[in-house]
Amino acid sequence: MSTTTSTQVAPRPRRPLRIYQIGSHLFISVMLLLSLIPTYLLITWSFKNGLQYRWERWAISFPLRWRNYIAAWDVVGDYMINTIIVAIIGLMGMLLLSLIGGYVFARMDFPFRETLYYAIIALLMVPWVLSFIPAYMVYVRLGLLNTRLSLIIPELAGGPIFGIFLMRAFISGIPEELFESARCDGAGVLDLIGRITLPLSLPGLATLAVLNFIGVWNSFLWPLVMIQDDDKQMIAVGLYKLARSATSGGVPGWTSQDFSVWGPLYAGYVIASLPLVLLFIVLGKFYVEGLVDSGLKV
Amino acid sequence: MTEVTGAAEQSRPADAAAGIPIRSSELSTWQAMRRSWQAYALLAPIFVLLIIFNYYPPILGLLRAFYRWRPGVEASFVGLQHFGVYFTSPETGRELLNMFKLLAFFFFSGAVVPFVMAVLIFRIRDTESKELYRLFLIIPMLVPLIVVILLWKQIYDPNLGVINGLLEQVGLGSLALNWLGDTATALYAIMFMGFPWVSGVGTLIYLGGLGQISESIFDACEVDGCTGLRRTLLIDLPLVLGQVRLMTILAVIAGVTSFQTILVLTDGGPGFATMVPGLTMFHKAFRTQQFGYAASIGMILFVITFTATLAVNRTIHPAVEDVRH
Repeated sequence: MSTTTSTQVAPRPRRPLRIYQIGSHLFISVMLLLSLIPTYLLITWSFKNGLQYRWERWAISFPLRWRNYIAAWDVVGDYMINTIIVAIIGLMGMLLLSLIGGYVFARMDFPFRETLYYAIIALLMVPWVLSFIPAYMVYVRLGLLNTRLSLIIPELAGGPIFGIFLMRAFISGIPEELFESARCDGAGVLDLIGRITLPLSLPGLATLAVLNFIGVWNSFLWPLVMIQDDDKQMIAVGLYKLARSATSGGVPGWTSQDFSVWGPLYAGYVIASLPLVLLFIVLGKFYVEGLVDSGLKV
Repeated sequence: MTEVTGAAEQSRPADAAAGIPIRSSELSTWQAMRRSWQAYALLAPIFVLLIIFNYYPPILGLLRAFYRWRPGVEASFVGLQHFGVYFTSPETGRELLNMFKLLAFFFFSGAVVPFVMAVLIFRIRDTESKELYRLFLIIPMLVPLIVVILLWKQIYDPNLGVINGLLEQVGLGSLALNWLGDTATALYAIMFMGFPWVSGVGTLIYLGGLGQISESIFDACEVDGCTGLRRTLLIDLPLVLGQVRLMTILAVIAGVTSFQTILVLTDGGPGFATMVPGLTMFHKAFRTQQFGYAASIGMILFVITFTATLAVNRTIHPAVEDVRH
């Protein structure tokens, strides 16, 4: 960061600058450590038995009680699989529609193009509170209450709104020559989308996939009102119900006496976080880029 | 072959601007539309889904706000009755006050604190620690929101919670409270959740914005002796106003419409101490089956968010583009 100009002026302000730097490091570290406390507690608690939870609240207790994780998986595993099924089916459809929509608006010229585009983008302005209640009624009317489809459709229908916005910008950046030469070789629209656009817009699609997967994983109010059967329930609502029944001793296979229910419960929370961690390790770059980009474009 | 050349012309807006207009003016709109059937065919599935699931519900909601409405029963028109009931019910004032308190707080925790954090991290000279800090910002974001909420519920627990545990350990046991169960503290406990509010989307978005500012601006301002707080206010802040606006709007929307945290932590209680309009909407619909009434609260919240968003857009004007690169 220090350039020639700054080194010329440097002699005088250098000292205060160094103190300022150390102070910043200290402050940032303290803030970050504070914000990590809940995550730390979550992980340590997940390895404790009842007595350790009661008496060693802050320290890590040994030996680590991995058994908690087995007990937890028995309960949260199904919720996670449900959520992954819904997320993947919804994502595939959402990505396909976003890719097609992005291509059409970025690369084709037709009457009412901008009108139609803004008709889609305008939906970004509709806050979910306005749609929540009537959407529930529409889904009930269509017989979608308590079906997995009711969880997939919002992803499939609503996902492309932001998806098309993002993919149009992305696909506009692909050099026209690539499409030109493919057309000369007789490629049709579907070829242009599948063979040229798709491979070149993978980073954009990855960003969309990550943002939407996190959205599905966190979705709470919608599955809470749509899904009644526990065997179709999504992870967030599953954990909410689990936390309620665990403290009242209602989880089969978990002993509720002497605080021993807490270890498996927190182990369940940790397991439920793992897919997001995994996703971040694999596609983290796209996630951060997506966030930063959306901050720049708005 | 004709089709291929047609597609080539369509997808080159530059050409359309230069030479094609003469031709396209000869074509009627109808002919042009027929020639572009492929574009419409590709968009058709998207629009079918959007119309049924994204256009229809909000429009229906705006209409049904004036009806008595529940599943399986014919809706009946009641005019402005729901709005009258809402604005005259004794809890409403409390709810709206809570909502504005939360909104003001979310502006602080969602727009102000992340900005300060981002500026501090951005000025760290050591690139390695900078990267490390970014990573640590992200770690808490990998925990699902519901887990964070449930965890904080446990942290606040009057008997088992770590806050009261800590207070007792340092001999301040008398200060221990039922944080979420006490009318005086419940709303503030909800706000305090997530302390110190630095990790997450906001700081990353600000960092992205600061990263876009041209290096020469910082150099120039260093020569002029503009450093520290002065630089923050005169250079950093004006140049990330786009991000400030985004975060402010997000804070407004969250303050007015979000109630998931409150639903899980207190469900509006104790009494009506932490009630917000969004949660009332939820309760009216799913506990007492008053869907029309709930739709009218949804409409009120929509009007509030819309007005507030417009106001924010009018007040905050991002800096001109030419100072960026």
